[in-house]
Amino acid sequence: MSTSTAAAVAAASSPAQPTGAHLGHTSLNIDSLRDLARKELVNVLDSDHGVEKIYHLQPGPLETDCKNLIYICRPQVNYMKYIAEHIHTHTKDSRSGSYTYSLFFVPRRTALCEKVLEDEGVFGEITKGEYHLDLIPLEDDVLSLEWDSTFKELYLEQDTTSIYYAAKALMRLQGIYGLFPRILGKGDYSKALCDMMLRMRREMAVDDLDASQTMQLSQNIDSLIIIDRSVDMVTPLCTQLTYEGLIDEIFHIKNSFVEVDASLASAASAPPGGAGSGSGTQTAAAAPGKKKKVPLNGGDKLFDELRDLNFAVVGGLLNKVAKRINADYEERHNAKTVPQIRQFIVKMGGLAAEHQSLRLHTALAEEIMNYTMTDDFNRILEVQQNVVAGIATNKEPEYIEEMINKQAPLVQVLRLLCLYSLVNSGIKPKQFEFFKREILETYGFEHIQTLENLHRLGMLTKQMTTKNTYGLVRRSLSLIVDEVNEHAPNDISYVYSGYAPLSVRLVQCVVQRGKDNKPGSGPSGKGSGIAGGNGWKGFEDVLRMLPGRTFDETQRVDDGQPRPSKRMNGQPRVSLVFFLGGCTFTEISATRFLASQEGGQRDFVICTTQILNGNTLVDSLVQKVPDLHASA
Amino acid sequence: MSPPTADWIQLHDRFYRKQEIYTMLWKQVDLSKYMIAAAPFGGPLALVRDDRKVLLLQKQQPIKPSIYLYTSSGKLMETISWDKGHIVGMGWTETEQLLCVLEDGTVRMYNILGEYTQFSLGKEAKDNRVIDVQFWGTGLVALTGSFQLIAITNFDEPRPLFLADPNINEPPHSWTVIPPKFTLSRHVEVLIAHNSTILVVDATEARDERLQQGPFSKMSISPDGKYLALFTSDGKLWVVSTDFQKNLSEFATRSQVPPQQLVWCGTDSVVLYWDKIVLMVGPYGDWIKYTYDDAIFLVPEIDGVRVISSDKCEFLQKVPDATENIFKIGSTAPAAMLYDALDHFEKKSPKADENIRSIRLELSDAVEACIEAAGHEISHQYQRSLLKAASFGKSFLEIHNADSFVEMCKILRVLNAVRYYEIGIPMTYTQYQRLSPEALIDRLISRHQYLLAIRICEYLKMRTDRILIHWACSKIKKSNDDEDTICRMVVEKLANKPGLSYSEIAMTAHKAGQSKLATMLLDYEPRAGDQVPLLMSMQEDELALVKAIESGDTDLVYHVILHLKRKLQLGDFFRIINNKPLACNLLESYCKQQDPELLKDFYYQDDRRVDSANLTLMESFRQKDSTERINKIKAALRLYQDDKEHTFEAKAIEDSIKLLQAQVQLEKDYSQPFSGLSISSTVYKLITINQSNRASKIRGDFKMPDKRFWWIKLRALVEIRDWDGVATLAKSKKSPIGYEPFVEECVKAMQFREAAKYILKCDAHLRAGLFLKIEAYQEAGEQAFLQKDLDTLREIRDKCPNAVIQGQIDGYISQLASSR
Repeated sequence: MSTSTAAAVAAASSPAQPTGAHLGHTSLNIDSLRDLARKELVNVLDSDHGVEKIYHLQPGPLETDCKNLIYICRPQVNYMKYIAEHIHTHTKDSRSGSYTYSLFFVPRRTALCEKVLEDEGVFGEITKGEYHLDLIPLEDDVLSLEWDSTFKELYLEQDTTSIYYAAKALMRLQGIYGLFPRILGKGDYSKALCDMMLRMRREMAVDDLDASQTMQLSQNIDSLIIIDRSVDMVTPLCTQLTYEGLIDEIFHIKNSFVEVDASLASAASAPPGGAGSGSGTQTAAAAPGKKKKVPLNGGDKLFDELRDLNFAVVGGLLNKVAKRINADYEERHNAKTVPQIRQFIVKMGGLAAEHQSLRLHTALAEEIMNYTMTDDFNRILEVQQNVVAGIATNKEPEYIEEMINKQAPLVQVLRLLCLYSLVNSGIKPKQFEFFKREILETYGFEHIQTLENLHRLGMLTKQMTTKNTYGLVRRSLSLIVDEVNEHAPNDISYVYSGYAPLSVRLVQCVVQRGKDNKPGSGPSGKGSGIAGGNGWKGFEDVLRMLPGRTFDETQRVDDGQPRPSKRMNGQPRVSLVFFLGGCTFTEISATRFLASQEGGQRDFVICTTQILNGNTLVDSLVQKVPDLHASA
Repeated sequence: MSPPTADWIQLHDRFYRKQEIYTMLWKQVDLSKYMIAAAPFGGPLALVRDDRKVLLLQKQQPIKPSIYLYTSSGKLMETISWDKGHIVGMGWTETEQLLCVLEDGTVRMYNILGEYTQFSLGKEAKDNRVIDVQFWGTGLVALTGSFQLIAITNFDEPRPLFLADPNINEPPHSWTVIPPKFTLSRHVEVLIAHNSTILVVDATEARDERLQQGPFSKMSISPDGKYLALFTSDGKLWVVSTDFQKNLSEFATRSQVPPQQLVWCGTDSVVLYWDKIVLMVGPYGDWIKYTYDDAIFLVPEIDGVRVISSDKCEFLQKVPDATENIFKIGSTAPAAMLYDALDHFEKKSPKADENIRSIRLELSDAVEACIEAAGHEISHQYQRSLLKAASFGKSFLEIHNADSFVEMCKILRVLNAVRYYEIGIPMTYTQYQRLSPEALIDRLISRHQYLLAIRICEYLKMRTDRILIHWACSKIKKSNDDEDTICRMVVEKLANKPGLSYSEIAMTAHKAGQSKLATMLLDYEPRAGDQVPLLMSMQEDELALVKAIESGDTDLVYHVILHLKRKLQLGDFFRIINNKPLACNLLESYCKQQDPELLKDFYYQDDRRVDSANLTLMESFRQKDSTERINKIKAALRLYQDDKEHTFEAKAIEDSIKLLQAQVQLEKDYSQPFSGLSISSTVYKLITINQSNRASKIRGDFKMPDKRFWWIKLRALVEIRDWDGVATLAKSKKSPIGYEPFVEECVKAMQFREAAKYILKCDAHLRAGLFLKIEAYQEAGEQAFLQKDLDTLREIRDKCPNAVIQGQIDGYISQLASSR
């Protein structure tokens, strides 16, 4: 008897992406985390197994033949309203018969959502459950909570929900990998996160005494470094210049998938690692104008090679790979004997996959090239680099004015303007008022709220003092590096072609200190363990200039002695870097670069609440108004 | 000691045994007079007088019926006096709660101590009465007088669910349910014997299996849900797979009367019970008959059948393979040899050594087999001798992992303890494995066997918290001591358990009306978050909110906020919230999504004018009617004007009103939509509809800077391809934005000829590049030469497709190079 079941999934995260083949190769075994998540998903679905169709949770009525509906979504008010709407339309329509509804909250059910369901009068209709998915391994070294709205929620609305979830997730990591011996961090919310973790550990003794007693210091993770996004707002506003960063800037990578023109993607109809079946895009033909989702992850060897490179060198590399693949194909002529031919055939499978990936990336690189060749892009980049480098001329504000006059997209304008304001500790009063007026008159008066939001976050302010803190920070941490060799970079600044992201520089200060007290001057010496190290000692002055508190906590096991974690021979130490409030792809690349400088002595695993870029960050702060004419 | 095979009976190729477990503690219970429900896994029995049967009124018996709860050993645990109506059916849940379903659709759920909760099956059940009910571990299905089926699938959140209408108009001959975990759809299915066929009913449809063998007067599902045993009216026992695809066996009983009970014994034989006669039928048509002196009751288990009679409790099961291998007469299985060897060893016979030698290679397996067989024994004696044999065999092995031996010893100790007649849980090893030790502990807790539960937990190294908390709660409920004494007593007992959670205990005290005790106990609760629910029910509103904030769990904060909002007057509500920033922020973000009116009140009472103003302003954007819209904006304006810090915004809002009024006029004049556009866009649009004068007027009204106006005009003119207009603009006066934009906009529109007109007006050093853009190589070359710009010249040469011009540029290059 087939009682059909449908699942509606909120787009917030697609946990069951069958794209995990690329995971599980570093010193930290991410596999165990993934298996946990996978097992639980099966449990969620098994209560009504045999899912026939998957829908994306959207506003508007849901029309389906299935009578059993399972919703899987974030505990967010808007989703509750969509679900309520579905149920209301079903109950109104007497023909449709009776449905059963199950709702699984990721990662947990909340009183807030239940209240909304109650208000909507559908609370009793739904069987509720939880799916405890928190950190999603996007890569071996990147774990994300994938809470897209964190930045706005945390900094503008000051709703600390994400800190709670982050603390929970980190506790779970500690449960799997052992206690982090040392927790360092910068920023007030970082401190709040650290405090919450320490408190949860105390309370865990309450939940499970045995577990907390047996919890050992982690074998390979020797530190957790928490960086609060509010410490470094400049970095995400800059245009990312790595390959992956530019893909994100132009196409926007969502949950490690990128949506591109089907014609672009058709070159790679079956990308290695398998396309997401959850989205059902597999079937989409390469019709013009149609969009197609393509996974971008380390399973694609070529992409893995390219992603962290400055875009300037990508073209050359693609060329080289193309030549190599061609040469490999040509080898078939040398295959004369049967075993030789067999060998070639075996190899060919790999070649085809590589070839396909090459086609995709060539197409993507071409698109990016078209974009980076435009005058607009280059002028924005020039202005941005001058601003960040502190080269003060009249040209920068003039260009921003010109952008407004040309009615360039508001997000682009605000990105530059905020950057200008942040770097100069505000904008001179007269200019400040001028820009505000220009924006309101050009983009609409609703942006009074947008400007208010930016003001509240300190991203767009009136200059009150001539003291330029950013300049001091820039100098003492050598954020600007003039000579950048994109081909053989020797500093993290290559990701922005000359600007080193402050956030990652702070991480570098911790892991590479004691070498020459001056990061940014290239690799040198092997770092000692962080657990017993000096943390940010020597950088107190700089840290004091940055907003928020600095902290350095040591976690001990019960015998009271902070033991340096015993390291298994040959295993690199691992630092967990948590970007609270989100991080960019360039920051990930820069952190990976730090690891490469450590000569196999240290690995980094990056955790973040979400992945963001300047556009998504600014856009979340822009006030949206309904289009009255569209609905009229 | 009787041989272990004494009670074995062969049924075709396998053996069955019926062992006595208990002599019943109860006296003279005539089981035929009762309606009985028994819980599986050696669980308790519930007896209530069957009011359809005549009973001789006896002196000592009260008129009002009672439900008696007995252990499997016949020990009375609880008497529940029954004052409600006719009980249609009784059943047990997985967690050993007794369900009583009444005629009117009320369902009462009792724990073993007689405390109950109740819920209803809904109106249909009430109106048409419930006539029968079937249970499984986590749910039930009721059949109503109008032959509708109502299912409950979850007792924690009981929600009556109608199954499809089976469309019958007479009571079924018999019916049963297949629990959700055994069906393909994972939803409950009901089998109904109707006429000569069976209907399979689930939530969506009723399907006729189109059988002819009926009518079926009894049916029963096997413990693994795979097979169905049916008893036909002509006395045949028929076993089929539950999908009706496979015919397994048929057996003629020659009885016209249907059996009183038809149950499965494990998964391979079926037991039928007629008055005082038990007939067990195997899969190959072999049978065994037992007779009794009194009425009995059969309790199906996953691995056998418990037979309850007025004087004993017996267990009928297929002899487990391991046991059979060892004890079967003439068995030469290695384990049998090992067992035998021990016997010889004890008799000091050299045959012991011979035996061991003969099974040398399989000795390890033999040891494991003895361990397993020990697990299946009820008799302590055989448990001991089998374990001894295993241990004996072990000593001949060089490497042997003793874990399974140790584990089995532990399990047997636990099983023997709970099987003790005072406890009365005759659980088998197989059942224990299926149920898990945690569930067993829960059962002991619910029977208030705290000491045994704690001992078992300590023995198995499990957490004892649950037991202690449960103990404390029941202590509080029962005790008559004063609050201080109870508190001291509880805390003393729980003191050396540092992690124990006190909130549940405190909650119990609160519910029992001992608020002082609750407060005292709550102080011991180490987790802030866990204190919150109790504090809320104790009306400690503010403290609850403080604790929730302390916990960092924002949802808990919401929980309290929403509770307070429902409970308090608005003023009091805000007073509690106001000085707590996190609570304020959360309230704000909740209101934005769900309750904008509350947000207005909140801003107003806290005097947050800018926020109020912005909120009002944003509302204005949702107003379709422009008068309404202007009114809203004006309200926002008033709020802004109150604040001297925000003169800029006040001015901007004034402008926005002015703009909207102007747009209303424009819409009238040109019958095109304007409202919603910004000032710049309005001007732009006016130019594109050839209303330049109007555009200039708007520009003047809002004092638009020259630069912006020029840009807008230029772009708008290019969009409508008014090249003359562009030229006029360029000539009208000296351009405040220079002439480069003119060139660039034309280039973007692919109008190279137009673009060329403006290049010479641009700065000299830009000209070469601009010419290059419009592919005017010659001009580009000339300009670059004039600027002495070698790099650009080379670039032009590379791009230039025309050989003549290339030559010319080469000339320039050599000239410049030589002059260097």
